[in-house]
Amino acid sequence: MLQKRNLFLNSLAKLKSWEGFLLFLLAVIFIINSQQTSAYLSVQNQINLFILSIEKIIVVLTMTFLIINAEIDLSAPSIMGLAACLMAWLYTQGVPLPLALAICLLVGVLCGLFNGLWIAYANLSSLVVTLAMLICYRGLARVFLEDKSIGGFPEWFNLLGQKPLIGPFPLAMIVFFVLLVIAVVILQYSGFGRHVFVIGNNAEVARYSGVRVKRVKMLLYVASGFVSALAGLLFAARLGAVRGDTALGFELDIITMVLLGGVSIFGGSGSLFGVFLSILIVLNLRNGMSLANLTGHLQTGVIGALLIFSVLAPNIFAQVRAAFRRRRVAAARDEAC
Amino acid sequence: MKRLLSMTSPERVRELILILLIVLVSLFFSSQIPNYFNARFFNRVSTSVAITAVIAIGQTLVFLTRNFDLSVGSIVGFTAYFVGQQLTRNNDIPPALAVLMAVGIGVVMGAINGVIISYGRVPSIITTIGTLAVYRTLLIEFSDAQTVLTAKLPKWVVDLPRVNIISFGDLDIRLVVGIMLLVVVIFQFVLTYLPFGRRLYAIGSNPEAARNAGFPSQQIVFIAFVLSGALSGLAGFLFLARFGNVTVVAGQGLEFASIAAIVVGGVSNNGGSGTVFGALLGAIMIDLLENSLIRWLAISEFWRDAILGMLILLAVASDKLVLSKLRSIWTRSELQITDETVVEKQEAEHHVAKA
Amino acid sequence: MEKPVIETRHISKRFDMTQALCDVSLDLYPGEVHALVGENGAGKSTLIKILTGIHRPDEGEILLDGKAVQIHNSQDAQALGIAAIYQEPMVFPDLNVAENIFISHQDRGKFVRWGKMYKDAEAVLAKLDVKLNVRSQARGLTLAAQQAVEIAKAISLQARVLIMDEPTASLSAHEVQQLFKLIRSLRSQGVSILFIGHRLEEVFEISDRITVLRDGMKISSKLRSEATTEGVIRDMVGREIKDFFLKGATKRGDLLMSVRNLSKAGVFRGISFDVYGGEVLGFAGLIGSRRTDVCLALFGIEPADSGEIIFEGKPQKIRSPQQALELGITYASEDRRKLGLTMPMSIASNISLPMLPRYMNVLGLIRRHEEIAAAEEFRRRLMIRAESVNVPVERLSGGNQQKVMLSKWLNANPKVLILDEPTRGIDVGAKAEVHHMINDLTDRGLAVILVSSDLPEVLAMSDRILVMREGRQMGIFEKAQATEETIMTAAMGQNHNVAEVAA
Repeated sequence: MLQKRNLFLNSLAKLKSWEGFLLFLLAVIFIINSQQTSAYLSVQNQINLFILSIEKIIVVLTMTFLIINAEIDLSAPSIMGLAACLMAWLYTQGVPLPLALAICLLVGVLCGLFNGLWIAYANLSSLVVTLAMLICYRGLARVFLEDKSIGGFPEWFNLLGQKPLIGPFPLAMIVFFVLLVIAVVILQYSGFGRHVFVIGNNAEVARYSGVRVKRVKMLLYVASGFVSALAGLLFAARLGAVRGDTALGFELDIITMVLLGGVSIFGGSGSLFGVFLSILIVLNLRNGMSLANLTGHLQTGVIGALLIFSVLAPNIFAQVRAAFRRRRVAAARDEAC
Repeated sequence: MKRLLSMTSPERVRELILILLIVLVSLFFSSQIPNYFNARFFNRVSTSVAITAVIAIGQTLVFLTRNFDLSVGSIVGFTAYFVGQQLTRNNDIPPALAVLMAVGIGVVMGAINGVIISYGRVPSIITTIGTLAVYRTLLIEFSDAQTVLTAKLPKWVVDLPRVNIISFGDLDIRLVVGIMLLVVVIFQFVLTYLPFGRRLYAIGSNPEAARNAGFPSQQIVFIAFVLSGALSGLAGFLFLARFGNVTVVAGQGLEFASIAAIVVGGVSNNGGSGTVFGALLGAIMIDLLENSLIRWLAISEFWRDAILGMLILLAVASDKLVLSKLRSIWTRSELQITDETVVEKQEAEHHVAKA
Repeated sequence: MEKPVIETRHISKRFDMTQALCDVSLDLYPGEVHALVGENGAGKSTLIKILTGIHRPDEGEILLDGKAVQIHNSQDAQALGIAAIYQEPMVFPDLNVAENIFISHQDRGKFVRWGKMYKDAEAVLAKLDVKLNVRSQARGLTLAAQQAVEIAKAISLQARVLIMDEPTASLSAHEVQQLFKLIRSLRSQGVSILFIGHRLEEVFEISDRITVLRDGMKISSKLRSEATTEGVIRDMVGREIKDFFLKGATKRGDLLMSVRNLSKAGVFRGISFDVYGGEVLGFAGLIGSRRTDVCLALFGIEPADSGEIIFEGKPQKIRSPQQALELGITYASEDRRKLGLTMPMSIASNISLPMLPRYMNVLGLIRRHEEIAAAEEFRRRLMIRAESVNVPVERLSGGNQQKVMLSKWLNANPKVLILDEPTRGIDVGAKAEVHHMINDLTDRGLAVILVSSDLPEVLAMSDRILVMREGRQMGIFEKAQATEETIMTAAMGQNHNVAEVAA
């Protein structure tokens, strides 16, 4: 019995990288899902499961940057909602749609700027500031639409959200992959990305090394605001209608995907590869649950549990490793001093 | 001046300012809304404060230790629904058991949060965003999207919100308000006079020193979450009593309202400072604003959340920028060691003794 | 002969692969101040942690009043009457003085009786001759006052053994004397004190007995009357003091930077000096003399309020580190872990950090091969012992980390290099290497500002020495006039007129 337990712990300890674990998890989900229905593995299904959550995973990209930078933006889904609602309201007020879209993107930038100002320059905790703004921006969105639902946008706008643009891919998916490539290049290969990691590890070291810490944080929040607004507009285009609660509660999925991807909640470490794997896991999991006829609400509960697990598991993992180290040290102790 | 300063503290001054603001806000609305002060309005605000404040007090316990509890809204919803459903099915359940049931569910849910946060070392913000979703899902699965209806509830529950303890002319102090005041008094006592309460402050004030002093920090944080859950459970019961009709979205957003209340009430998000009385003031402030906005025709009632968010931000920012200035007015205490001669004499004795 | 209160017998402790303590036996008598000295890594902190129950010894035992005891955690230590006070006081800023004193007490009943607590706190403080308002929040207390609160807490817990881990490190000279008064009063009340110190003059002033640790072993233990400074230093470093590397005479180059009347409200004022190429300007002074703050002002982290900085003939207002870097001023912080290096990141990315734009192409992407090549160059030149420059810095030894930090700042091609305590906490061999390197740099015409609390080091390495005390400049000494005595008298604030000598 004891031996069996040791074997299990040993194999756990060997699984060193989180990404390896994610790959394993993904494979398991793939296998289980494909057993349920043959349609699961079809290209169209795989594209569909992306499309169903495409707006969230676009925001995951900027959220990854922020969490690596040891900050967070809980207000991103509210900015999505605000941009969508404002666009709809402007449209009903007779503003030409292209102009409305541009204004909404600008508002996204302003929201990010506002967040960043308090966090980078007034040194307030990003958790509290963006929590407050999560409420505030959502409130503003409701002010515009009250309890109405607004649709009936021009045909070209709806098609942009729904029709495949290149091959089988609609615009939002192309936007995601373009942003993904840009994000990988910036985070993993550029000087700016290096600064993001250094600040996440230790903002003081960065400041003492001449890094413009405040500017980096500011840029990240502005980017987060802009991308969130963009995602909100794409969401509006896909649904063809907007309500005050558009994108409400998306923070759960977004943060889950980032943290499950191995990004440390304390900042300083993580990779977009891991995050991409976790995006695939969450999407396929949701898809699988839909195939198994589980309701959307139940899926939300599972994602919530997954979020906790994604942080809890590495902690347990680390404790197991520490236990092993202690045993090694105990062995080494026999040497005389 | 010095004596004046020693009689109070920056935190007291802050609470006084808040009381002043509450008065100013109500004066402002009374100038805008005809017949603003009436008994109905008082009851409406006071019963809604009762619910917000009870949750806010639980949130305060958690905040003092530098943590968050975002799952309170879901716990309120779940307990309100669960207890409501049991009462619908069985009208004979005694009131005490119903309350106990609500608190018990809250304790279990709070304990789950506490275990994960305290012993699993998962940051509270992550854990409670997760359980916010999980508990709400439980509610939806459990309810099958049905609604608890007032009509099917036992009579004592339906009548509960209108039970008065005491009346001042037109103004009634309702039972739910009485329960809330009782909770305020109990927890103000816990935080001021019980070693457990003082240790909540200590842990938030300097976690490392708390570890060094050998406090069972994990256990204390765990209990804070259990209590937060229990109070949310109680609030769930009050929620049921107040509204009667409970849907699956019951209590949604109360996590934000409770955080807004205590941040406005001066509970620091860096832990270690804040009072139950402050939390109550904060709850009064936001519920007063909310209920006044609904009656104010000049702007849409949908401004409520936008204003709530800005209020939290302003409270935090002013604490950061103003409270630190306020604190520096209170004189820095320098170390003074008196009566050198005594020490020197002892010193001499010491040497004699050695010789 | 009195019996010792507490004894450790043959204590050994290993962490991973390093032997932190080896067969250490130590005793402490009632009413004795026993000083424990040693270089960083000598095992002092490990011993304290064993006595306070944070660590368990692998071998050996602890005796209290002659009986073997087990200390599993800090409550055990507290119950046995052992208390510890650290460099950074462990107070609760939001609680008031009285509560800080009594928060750890288990025996004060089920409820907090505030009135009684205030009275008791006043009584405890009175016993120590300390005057403090027991109702004031600990947040507003000075560091020294916070320590006094901690001492009062220990006394109220009936501590018989008080361990003080470098309590004077962040105190001003005046506060140190106040602390010593407190220690003497405790001693006269029969409390035994284990005093861990790093400044020998203080150790000799306060202690009855001095024990030296080196590399986890007890080297010597002598009564103060029998110990000499030289002897203690010899035991600490394991060699004679004159082994210190002496900086060769270099030709003074051009005037690089003039600082005139630099001031920052409440921090320092009236700082004026010149820096020439090819010379080392030493900054001496006790801890709390605000030398680091002057450096931070020169590097733009905490800019000065007034005064002039003239760099290469042009007046400059340095408002940010970026600006300082552009001018050619770099600052290597004394706190490697918190301010110097990003520990989990590689040697190469640490070295390139301040100069990252140099390794970026037009798109802002990092040219990795150039970055690696530059780091490799430093690894060779400074003999950094690591398999490759891709190794995370946290895996290197203290000395090698220090070299990475120097590389990081040398890579910025500075004209004026400010080194804040560059040899603190690194072993003797690495120390000598750092000294050689400073010599090398000045040979190439760089100016070095060397901030060090190690007086012999400053004396040996500097061409001129600026002495500070509590934010004021006490004088600048040419090498010929600088001796341990002249510097110390200036740093302690005696003899103000020496300030005129340099001008």
